[in-house]
Amino acid sequence: MAKKPVKITKGAPAKGEPASQGRTAEAPVAASSAAVRPAVIVVGADKGGVGKTTIARAILDFLSLNDIHARAFDTETPRGTLHRFHPDETMIVDLTEPSDQMKIIDTLNTSQAKVSVIDVRAGGLSPALQALDEIGFFDAVKSGEFRFVLLHVIGSSISSLEEIAEIAPYVADANYFMVKNHVNDTTFFEWDPQTHAKYFEDVVTSGEITIPKLSELAYEQVELSGAPFSTFIANQDAQGRPAEHSFVLRGYVRTWLARVADEFERVGLLDLVGEKRR
Amino acid sequence: MTRRTLAFFVCSPHSRTGVTTAARLLTDYYLWRNVGVEGFDTDVREPVYALFFPERTRVADLSDVKGQISLFDRLLVADERPKIVDVCHRSYERLFTTIAEIGFLEETRRQGVEPVVLFQTDATQSAANGALVLKTTWPDLTMSVIHNRGASPLGQDSLAVLARYPPSGKFVIPRLEAPVARALDDVGLSLSALMSDAPPANSFAVRNTLKSWLLPIFTQFQSFELRLELQSGKCLG
Repeated sequence: MAKKPVKITKGAPAKGEPASQGRTAEAPVAASSAAVRPAVIVVGADKGGVGKTTIARAILDFLSLNDIHARAFDTETPRGTLHRFHPDETMIVDLTEPSDQMKIIDTLNTSQAKVSVIDVRAGGLSPALQALDEIGFFDAVKSGEFRFVLLHVIGSSISSLEEIAEIAPYVADANYFMVKNHVNDTTFFEWDPQTHAKYFEDVVTSGEITIPKLSELAYEQVELSGAPFSTFIANQDAQGRPAEHSFVLRGYVRTWLARVADEFERVGLLDLVGEKRR
Repeated sequence: MTRRTLAFFVCSPHSRTGVTTAARLLTDYYLWRNVGVEGFDTDVREPVYALFFPERTRVADLSDVKGQISLFDRLLVADERPKIVDVCHRSYERLFTTIAEIGFLEETRRQGVEPVVLFQTDATQSAANGALVLKTTWPDLTMSVIHNRGASPLGQDSLAVLARYPPSGKFVIPRLEAPVARALDDVGLSLSALMSDAPPANSFAVRNTLKSWLLPIFTQFQSFELRLELQSGKCLG
């Protein structure tokens, strides 16, 4: 059943984080041609528990609220978390299987959804990028056939920085963003500048995205509801029926989602996927 | 015509300005008129307001999301029962931060609830600034100031002090002589009952003095309520 999310009233801007600490590339210019090139947004990390699926869910809400038709692929087989929240637009796939790669890549041009969001399971980012490389996806991106955005969700530990070296070879032509996810904690990301610089020697980022903290109780209630954030805000259950969610919790989720949307807008996500706000 | 449900926030950023007295007076005013009323005490350390009305108040810890839910979700129920929130100075910042964060005031209009801030005056500039900040942040918010001459006298320049506050309605709570004021501390003393039929436990002098003190206060509340109803009628047709 289609679930119509509420329009978000923009709240206060997200609390400022310092500008990207890595080398920052010029934001790629959005296509001006009438034909929209399909876009692939990969959300991933090799470290577990950093909130990849939360980010993927927020992106799907953000795109939906901007009237952008998107589809999603959940690589957490056999039972995907993203699929649980967005069953109508999500397919569970194994990115290392050619048949599933075909379901994604071979349909990019023919699908009505011009934006495909891939939520890569923990530990699967490097293999996923390698698989995409092997089938020539990055060559197609380089030639302008597809758009590619990589959201690398990083944790506060040094192991997150170590992942960067592993994925560096695949992000040369990508809009590569580091995502600092504070949704479940208040961990302060503060790396030693020299250590940080060392890891960013070989990678160019398009910037950083900071996901603010959400009240634990509010987050839990959305989890329990099994509904997209925007559906929870609209006081509906996962089937789109009227629910009785607390107004306070809906208020916190609404403000949080508006701040996340501010972050996505700040980095020009709509332009990067070739869609202007309608 | 649908009546809007009133949600009063009696507040001050400072302690000992008479917030609980004002919340108690407003509660007793409604009880005196046989109007069901619900109270919320935000002072978890010393919930004095809740002691006066144990049957109809709840203590809400605003530092905790569950406490916020017990307050704000209930305030949004448009059942025509006035709700009165005693906002102690310790909860003042937290309350208005939460109101902004969850979009409470915007939702009240959709739900048919009329939020009213009753701001307790004191002689400090910071209190007046606090009231101005609220009015600037939410220009449509109904706000009145309460000048409690006993708990928070403004001194010789009271008019100048009051002029620092946003131009809005004003309630005046007259000063009580100390012996009579002490009688108010008795949590078993119901001011609404006193107005209806004076309990014999109190001395004649105290009863009469309290009645004389209460009557003009209740009259101000009544005028204010009527004014709100008239405005509501204009809005709702």
